[in-house]
Amino acid sequence: MSENNRVHHVYDGIEEEDNRLPNWWLAILIGTIVFSFGYWFVYETTQKLPSPLVAYEAEKAANAAAQAKLAADTPLGDDSLWAMTKDADMVAAGKKVFSQICVSCHLDKAQGSIGPNLTDKYWIHGYEPMKIIEAVTNGFPEKGMEAWGARLGAERVKQVAVFVLSIRNTNESGKAPEGDIIDPAGN
Amino acid sequence: MQTQRIEYDDTTVRRFIWASILFGVVGMLVGILVACQLVWPALNFGIPFTVFSRLRPLHTNAVIFAFVGNMLFAGIYYSIQRLFKARLASNFLSNLHFWGWQAIIAAAAITLPLGITQGKEYAELEWPIDLAVVVIWVVFALNFFWTMAKRNEKQIYVAVWFYIATIVTIAVLYITNNLALPLTLGKSYSIYAGVQDALVQWWYGHNAVAFFLTTPILGIMYYFLPKAAERPVYSYRLSVVHFWALVFIYIWAGPHHLLYTSLPDWAQSLGMLFSVMLWAPSWGGMLNGLLTLRGAWHKLREDPVLKFLVAGVTFYGMSTFEGPLLSIKTVNGLAHYTDWIIGHVHSGALGWNGLMAAGMFYWLVPRLYGTKLHSVKGADLHFWLATIGIVLYMVSMWISGVTQGLMLRAMNPDGSLLHPEFLETLAAIQIPYLVRALGGAMYFTGLIIMCWNLLKTALAGKAVTTTIEVVVAPKQPAPAGEGLVGIILGRPFVFSGIILVFVLAIGFMTSPLAAMALMGVILLLSVVAWIVNTRDKKAGRKSWFAIIEGNAVAFTTMTLLAILIGGVAELLPTLLIHQSLPKDAAKYQQPYTALELQGRDVYVREGCYLCHSQQVRPFLAETMRYGEHSQLEEFVYDHPFQWGSKRTGPDLHREGVKQRPSSWHYNHMIDPRATSEGSNMPAYPWLLSNKIDAKLGEKKLRLMQKLSVPYSNAQIDFAEQDQQAQAEAVLKDIGADGLEWNSELVALIAYLQKVGKSQGIAFDAPSVRAAGTPVGMLEGGR
Repeated sequence: MSENNRVHHVYDGIEEEDNRLPNWWLAILIGTIVFSFGYWFVYETTQKLPSPLVAYEAEKAANAAAQAKLAADTPLGDDSLWAMTKDADMVAAGKKVFSQICVSCHLDKAQGSIGPNLTDKYWIHGYEPMKIIEAVTNGFPEKGMEAWGARLGAERVKQVAVFVLSIRNTNESGKAPEGDIIDPAGN
Repeated sequence: MQTQRIEYDDTTVRRFIWASILFGVVGMLVGILVACQLVWPALNFGIPFTVFSRLRPLHTNAVIFAFVGNMLFAGIYYSIQRLFKARLASNFLSNLHFWGWQAIIAAAAITLPLGITQGKEYAELEWPIDLAVVVIWVVFALNFFWTMAKRNEKQIYVAVWFYIATIVTIAVLYITNNLALPLTLGKSYSIYAGVQDALVQWWYGHNAVAFFLTTPILGIMYYFLPKAAERPVYSYRLSVVHFWALVFIYIWAGPHHLLYTSLPDWAQSLGMLFSVMLWAPSWGGMLNGLLTLRGAWHKLREDPVLKFLVAGVTFYGMSTFEGPLLSIKTVNGLAHYTDWIIGHVHSGALGWNGLMAAGMFYWLVPRLYGTKLHSVKGADLHFWLATIGIVLYMVSMWISGVTQGLMLRAMNPDGSLLHPEFLETLAAIQIPYLVRALGGAMYFTGLIIMCWNLLKTALAGKAVTTTIEVVVAPKQPAPAGEGLVGIILGRPFVFSGIILVFVLAIGFMTSPLAAMALMGVILLLSVVAWIVNTRDKKAGRKSWFAIIEGNAVAFTTMTLLAILIGGVAELLPTLLIHQSLPKDAAKYQQPYTALELQGRDVYVREGCYLCHSQQVRPFLAETMRYGEHSQLEEFVYDHPFQWGSKRTGPDLHREGVKQRPSSWHYNHMIDPRATSEGSNMPAYPWLLSNKIDAKLGEKKLRLMQKLSVPYSNAQIDFAEQDQQAQAEAVLKDIGADGLEWNSELVALIAYLQKVGKSQGIAFDAPSVRAAGTPVGMLEGGR
C-alpha cells in the first residue's frame, strides 16, 4: 500500500488512515462550485436569464393574450346560452361544477344559505344569461361572492351558468327571497 | 512521567440514554396520532389540547430536542471522556445539564398543547423557556470546554470538531432567532417582521437541522462506527475537507426554504447555490463512514449495531442528495408546501437520526451495564421494521407530494385550472396518508421492541464504572508558530481569507467583465494555494490543520468565524431592508387594528400556519387559485411572519381580498366539513366560548409601537372601544344567536378578513380581467 494509507493518528483505539479523496467525490465538489459561479453569473450578474418574477410576468402576459384571442374568436350571447339549457350533457356538467364549488354557500339544491336562493324568481344582479356569466366570472367580492372566472376557466363558467339557468323558477324552499322579481314572459 | 487515575462519569451518559428513549416513544406516538388526524379529523377529539395544529409542534419538538437532544448529549459525553482521556469536568454541571434539559422538555410538553407558542417552526417555545434553553446550553458548553481544557490528549479528533461546531453554532442561531419582546409570561412578539423574520427563522430552522440533527450525529458516527466495526477511519484528509466545507457552506443554505417567496431574488439564489454545493461536503461524511467498513462488510450480517449505523449513514447520504435536489428552484417550485418535504425530513429524522440513535444505544447499553445485548434477534426485528417503515413513509410521501403538486398546477387547454378546488387534491392523497401512518406505526413498533430489549439488557447487568490510568504529560508552551498568532498567519487561513473576499465581491458585481476577471483571480489564487500546500507537504512541514487541531481556542474561534460569514452576509442586508425598503411604499400593508391583532394572536396560538401558508408564489396556477402574488412590502408589520411551510389546506394570504362573508368563516370554524366537504381541518368550537382579553389590546398595540408599527397614541388609547365597535360589526354580519362580541372567533374572523388587503396592489383575477372583458367564452369546444 502507498504512503497514503498510513495511520495518521490513534484516538482511544480508533485508528485514522489518510487515504486519498475519491476522484468522483472531488468532481462533485468542484463541479457544484463551478456550476454555482456560472449560475450566479448568468442569473444575477448579467441577468441574461429571467428571474422568477420576470418569468412570471411573461407567463401571465402570454396567458392573457391567449384568453383575449379566445374571447374575440368565440363570442357568447344570451340566446346561445338559453339554447344550451336544452343540452342535457351541458346541464349535467354544470351541475357537477355547482356541486363542487357553489354548494358551500348556495347549498345542494341551490336553495341558498350564505348566498341567495337561485331557484326563486328574485334576482339581485339580474338573471339574463350574460349577467349570470358575469356574476360567476367576476363575483361580487364586496358581498362575499368570489370571482370564479380565473379558477374555473371559461368552459366551466359557461357550464355552471347554464345549469343555473336550467333550474330557474323551480322554487326550492330555502332562503327568503332577495332582490327584484324578474319574470320575463314565457317563464 | 506522572500517571493519573481517572474514573469516567457514565452515570450522566446512562441518564441521557434512558431519557432519549422515553421521549422518543412519546414523540413518535404523537407523530402517529397527528398522521392519523390528517386522515380522520375526528381524532382531534374536539378539544383544544389534542388538536392537530397544537400537537404537531409537540411532535417536532419532542423528536428533535427531547429524543435526538438527549441522544446526542449521551453520545457526546461518552465519547469526549474517552477521546480526551478525562472525566467530565463537573458533576454539578452534568447534573444541572441533565435535569435542566428534562425540565425544559416538561415545560414544552405542557405549554405547547396549551397553545403557548411563538408561532415559528421549531422555535415555538416561549421566551421564559427560551431563556432556560440558553442557560442550559451554556452549562453544556462550560462542561464540554472545561473537560476539553483538562484533556490528556493534545490533538482533537474529528468527532470533537463536529461537537464544537454544534455547541457554538446552536448558541448563535438560537439566540438570534428567538429575540422577542415579551407581552406576558406566555406571549411575546418577534422583534423581526415579515421578510426579515422569515429569513432569520429559516436561517435558524435550516441550521438547526444542520447543527443539531447533523453535525453532532456525524461526530457520534466518527466515534461509534469505527469502534463497532473495529476498523480504521478511512481518511483523515477527507474529514478535514468535508468538515470545513460543511460548516462554512451549511449556514448559507437557509433561504432554500423561501424560494419563490417575497424574499429578494439574490438571497434565494444564494440559498439554492449553497445547497447545491453542500452535496459533496455532506457525502464526505457518508463516505468516511461507509468506507471505514471496507474489509469488514461481513460483520454486518451478525452485528445489529453495525446494521443500524450503516443504514443510518446510508439514509444520511440519501437525504443529503435529496436536499440539494429539492433546493433547485424549479424542483422546489413543485415540491415546496407538499408532502415531499415531509417525506424528506423523515428520511433524515427516522433514517439518519433514529437509526444512528438505535445503533449507538445497542452498542452502549451492554457496555454501560457490563453485559451482553439481551436479544440479537429482537434487534434484527427492530431493524427490519424500522427500515421497511421508513421506506413506506418516504415512498408514500413522494407519491402524495408529487401528485398534489402536479394537480395544483395542472391547467385546462383554455388556460384555466384543471382542479379549481384545493380539496380535490386532498381527496387524491388519502391512500398515501394511510400508508404513511402505517409506516410510522411500524417504525414505532420497532422502537418499542428496542425499549424492551435494552431494559432487559440493563436489568441483566449492573451499572459499570470505568477507570483508566493515563500518563499526564507536563505542560509545555506551544512551539513557535503554533500559538494563536501563528495559526492566524498560517497560509490556509490567509489564502482562504483572500479568496473569500474576492468571492463575496462577485456578489456585488453588475459588470460581467469585472465578474469574470474576479473569477479568474480566484482560480489563479486557488492554483497558487494548491501548489504552496503541496510543496509544504513535500518539505515535511507540520500542516496548519494539525496545528489548529491541537489548539482548542483557535479551533473554536475558526469554527465560529466560518459559520458567522454566511450568516452575516445574508442576514445583514435583509435586516437593513427596513431602512431601504420603500421600494413601493404604496404597497405597504395597513397596520392591524387591535381586534385584528387579537385575532392574529388566536391564529398563531392555534397554529394555523402549520397547514396554511400566507405566501402566494409568482406562478400562474398559483395566482389564479389564490390571487395576486405576495410582495415583501406587505408583511412589514407581521411580528412574527406567518408564511408557513406546508399547505395541508389552501394558501390564506389573499383571504381578506376574497371578502368571504363572516357567516362562512363562522360555519367553517365550527364545522369545516359543513362548508368544505372532504376537508381534513379540525373544528375549533372552543373559539366560540373563549373570550379575548380586550384590555390587553391596548398593551399589544403599545408593544407593536415599540417595534415601529406606526400606531398613533389615539389608536392605543381607544383600543378597547375600537375592538368592540369592529367586533359588533362582524357579529352583525355573522348573525348567529348567543355569540358575544368578545368571542375569540369574532376576532379571528376580523383578522382573516384583513389578511393580504394591502394598499396599492391591483387585485384583479389575472387572466380574465386582464383580457379586458369578463365574458370571453369558449363556444361549445371541449
